[in-house]
Amino acid sequence: MTSPPPPTPASPATAPAAGRGGSESRGGGAEGGGTPAAGGGGTRTLGLVYPPAGRGRDYTGMQLAFVGGVAESATTYDYDLLLSPAERAGDASFQRMVDGGRVDGVIVMEIKLEDDRVEYLARSGFPFVTIGRNSRAEETSWVDLDFAGLARGCVYHLADLGHRRIAFVNRSEQLFRSGYGFAHLGLEGYTKAMAEQVLTPHAYLCDDEVTAGEAVLERILLDDPATTSLVTMNEAALEGLYRGLTRHGRRVPRDFSVVGVAAGRWAEQVDPQLTAAEIPAKEMSRVAVELMMRRLDEPEAPPRHVLLKPLISLRESTGPCRPVPGSEPEQEFPDLDQFPDLPDLPGSDF
Amino acid sequence: MDTRRPVTPTASGHYAYSADAATATISPEGVVMGWSEGARRLLGHGAAEVVGRPAADLIVPAEGAGPAGFSLIDLRDSPELSGTAALRHRDGHSVEVALRAYPSLDGEGEVQAYVVTATTIATATSADSPNSSAPSLLEWSHAQSPLAMSLFTSGPQGWRLDEASSGEPPGEAAEKSFLRLVAQVADEGRPMRYERTAPGPFSSRQQAWFTEMWPVRDPDTGEVCGVGTATFDSSEEHWARQRLALLNEAGARIGTTLNVSRTAQELADLAVPRLADFVSVDLLDSVLKGREPAPGPLDSAVRLRRVAHQSTYEGVPEAAVAIGMQDAYPPFSPPARALATGKPLLSGLDDPDYLRWVGEDGRRIERVRRFGFHSVMATPLRARGITLGVMFLARREGSKPFQLDDLVLAEELAGRAAVGMDNARRYTRERTNALTLQRSLLPRDLPKQAAVEVAYRYLPAGSGAGVGGDWFDVVPLSGTRVALVVGDVVGHGLHASATMGRLRTAVRTLADVDLPPDELLTHLDDLVTHLTWNNETFPDQVEMPYAGEIGATCLYAVYDPVSRVCTIASAGHPPPAVVYPDGAVSVVRLSPGPLLGVGGLPFEATEVELPEGSLLAFYTDGLIEARDHDIGIGMDRLCEALASPVPSLEGACDTVLKALLPDPETPADDVALLLARTRALHTDQVAAWSLPSDPAIVADARAQASRQLALWGLEEAAYVTELVVSELVTNAIRYGAVPIGLRLIRDRTLICEVSDASSTAPHLRRARAYDEGGRGLHMVAQLTQGWGTRQTATGKTIWTEQPLPANSR
Repeated sequence: MTSPPPPTPASPATAPAAGRGGSESRGGGAEGGGTPAAGGGGTRTLGLVYPPAGRGRDYTGMQLAFVGGVAESATTYDYDLLLSPAERAGDASFQRMVDGGRVDGVIVMEIKLEDDRVEYLARSGFPFVTIGRNSRAEETSWVDLDFAGLARGCVYHLADLGHRRIAFVNRSEQLFRSGYGFAHLGLEGYTKAMAEQVLTPHAYLCDDEVTAGEAVLERILLDDPATTSLVTMNEAALEGLYRGLTRHGRRVPRDFSVVGVAAGRWAEQVDPQLTAAEIPAKEMSRVAVELMMRRLDEPEAPPRHVLLKPLISLRESTGPCRPVPGSEPEQEFPDLDQFPDLPDLPGSDF
Repeated sequence: MDTRRPVTPTASGHYAYSADAATATISPEGVVMGWSEGARRLLGHGAAEVVGRPAADLIVPAEGAGPAGFSLIDLRDSPELSGTAALRHRDGHSVEVALRAYPSLDGEGEVQAYVVTATTIATATSADSPNSSAPSLLEWSHAQSPLAMSLFTSGPQGWRLDEASSGEPPGEAAEKSFLRLVAQVADEGRPMRYERTAPGPFSSRQQAWFTEMWPVRDPDTGEVCGVGTATFDSSEEHWARQRLALLNEAGARIGTTLNVSRTAQELADLAVPRLADFVSVDLLDSVLKGREPAPGPLDSAVRLRRVAHQSTYEGVPEAAVAIGMQDAYPPFSPPARALATGKPLLSGLDDPDYLRWVGEDGRRIERVRRFGFHSVMATPLRARGITLGVMFLARREGSKPFQLDDLVLAEELAGRAAVGMDNARRYTRERTNALTLQRSLLPRDLPKQAAVEVAYRYLPAGSGAGVGGDWFDVVPLSGTRVALVVGDVVGHGLHASATMGRLRTAVRTLADVDLPPDELLTHLDDLVTHLTWNNETFPDQVEMPYAGEIGATCLYAVYDPVSRVCTIASAGHPPPAVVYPDGAVSVVRLSPGPLLGVGGLPFEATEVELPEGSLLAFYTDGLIEARDHDIGIGMDRLCEALASPVPSLEGACDTVLKALLPDPETPADDVALLLARTRALHTDQVAAWSLPSDPAIVADARAQASRQLALWGLEEAAYVTELVVSELVTNAIRYGAVPIGLRLIRDRTLICEVSDASSTAPHLRRARAYDEGGRGLHMVAQLTQGWGTRQTATGKTIWTEQPLPANSR
């Protein structure tokens, strides 16, 4: 287990509320079944609230990995899993699951910066854990990836390879505006890292599709033709980014480096394989279920937070920087530092 | 001479009968016991030649059932016998005689011997005429001359023997071919010498005569009026010449190779059938192994190994010992006696020791009976004062017994063959030494490694060339990589082998430092240059190459199963061939590089990316070069052979050797072949990460490593791995340069590597404690199975290896 941040003491206001909220929420259950137990009520079932992210309202491979991971971990504690695609607290499926008392606790995913599901659960005191975190992070139990740290790590990886012109390709404008945490945190990390490296940031939003990737690459090279690398958090657009690079005669990784954040298996299936920080779906699922169990066992305990920071897995898409010809000032004289043994030139005294 | 045959000194004693009468005494068994001068004159045989022989040998077998049949067997039945018989003259023609035999009785009336007198039928009349007229002293001299003098004159029927003036005529005096020669001498008016041979009556050796022929001229007119001939027995000279011819042939036919067994077989082949009916050659074991046998005669009880035998019969049925088998020879046996005394000996059925030897040995007595071995010789094989073994010769029933001359000849042959065998033995010793050296320098069991599956063949050159300096090697490197080496020191013999050993060790050492291929060859090149210089300090009489004369080639390849890249550099060595998994075969395009020892020229490394399951073929020039084709054809054949599908690597080795070498048993040059099938480590075995140079990352790195181990089911290794990762990553961040990388490999061991862009840690070698950072490394060394550093193109890598937890191996 990675080093979790020191447990934050639960705020006095919420911690007691969590324990007693069960009865309250029961009352709120409008057309719930007769199941009395909410919050550790012995259904031996966990709820997973996970809206599909695919374009046809289907689950992406990444999401399925999380669903599978949660189900597997729950099984080890002898819990069943109930899946809800609810995006909002008002969704009927969410209401059935929580107010209907069908589950002992819920794991909520695809957390937005302002998320009414989290608000609802926190208010009602229903046991819940989030995968991802938002503005209520201090009060809730969560497991998350350090997206800011990942984006920063990506920048540092490229900088270590000598790259100076590093672009950032974020998720879609729609996701960004709807307040998805990782999109904001990623941008934050990228911007901060570029500032630390004294480099100029170039961040772009990009729809989650191939053509959008191609279009964004055009813009990147239009804005700065000397760009030699990019960091991306947009898996869906990667293929388009690669295509655009190919069209511009930039070979990866010889002429252009790409580093991203991606699910492990997917990163290995593109060509060249993507150097990327892997999202450890399985581990995050496992940790989420563990946090859930702890929450159910000790309702009064302060909320726990687990922030995972996977390293960037080295694959084939990054390499040492080869500046675009003409983009960097030519060095006209040999660097004398490389020849410390050269005698001082005559007359160098003055 | 050891004939042990009683020679009855009665030749002169029988003159009592008659000076002229041809008289012989014959034992009841039919053996001639006495021989008169008259008998000598009649038949030409001297007493010494005839006495002791069966009298029946003298009789020309009667054709059909002629009235002249005279059998001594009949003597047993009748006290007195007379008849006619055809007797064999020494020169081969038959003499018709009237025989009369009288038994000679002892005191008790038992027949002691028979006295046989013979009178010539054909010459009876002519013999009368010189006797009737008073013979002159000259005529007596003429008649008794050991030379048969004759005069031929021309008459109406051509040239004829002038009987009046001729002594004993040569046997073929009346033959037409002889008369033609006489006519030729007369026509040409020039003397001529003529030699004739015929089988001898008592031995397998031929008898020979010289006939001098000269024209007889009328001193006044100078006209040829006759031809004089003088014939004399030249058998001794003939035999001597035959012996010389045999010995001469021995010089040419024995010792054609430097192979002990082959030389022995050549000796046996030459001696049969001219000297014996059966020959065996047995040697001391030490000789066959090329060792030095004890000098001087050997102790009597001796074990010998059959090396060669030959017989006039197909398949050598007489041999009691199969070739390659050992047998013990009791001290009294003729071979053992010959070995013990160091002298040749003659033996046979009349030798009690011979009878005892064969009698005590069931196999031998059976063979002696079946084939009737009656006369044998044993000759030690001695050369340069040491005894190598013994040659045994035998004659069968129907062949004449060995004579003293035969013994001398056998000894002579044995002496020549022994020198050849000793040469072969010495060569064998040299070669065995060199081979032993070379074998000890070549890898016996290749180290276990996971990067490639290998199979190899090493064939030393066939006889003549001496061992060579080919070598190959497989060196496991850190990070599951493997170095594949093949090299060739020019030349043959101990020196080449020794140089090969030095180079191989050097390559191993340099490989251990984990130098990249081009750099490794540069170091090796320096080493060879130094080796050559050092050679000048050798004393003059030691033949060592001068500076620049160590020619050596080497190919060094490093295969990395993670990247599947093979990096190859060559110092004048032929490039490897690659068989891709789809079956395509190609020769890797390499910069060939200069030979080792040339110095100063750069070596270039070539990188080849290989799909998993590719087959790399490394070899030395002995494989592709041959007398009947050049290198290009050899390469084509190699590619062809590699392209044919074979189930296993071992099978592929055999296929290649069979396809390229006409005689894989004894190639003309050394051949080394190393086949390697590449494996690849996939993402389920390798994980690599990039790390920023930020102390805060250490904890993340530990966590990541721990996660990875959990994924691999190696939780037990997590504690040590986390410590190692902490230590190495901290060091890299503190002292190294970006980019920093962390890699875990799960193979036969768990490997943890941290690399950075700084190459300034080359002194941190194994298990040495340093003041700063050294303590951490010391801990790492204690916790892991091994650790080390290697230089990379972009900096250095520090690696550690841990055994896999027991439950996951």
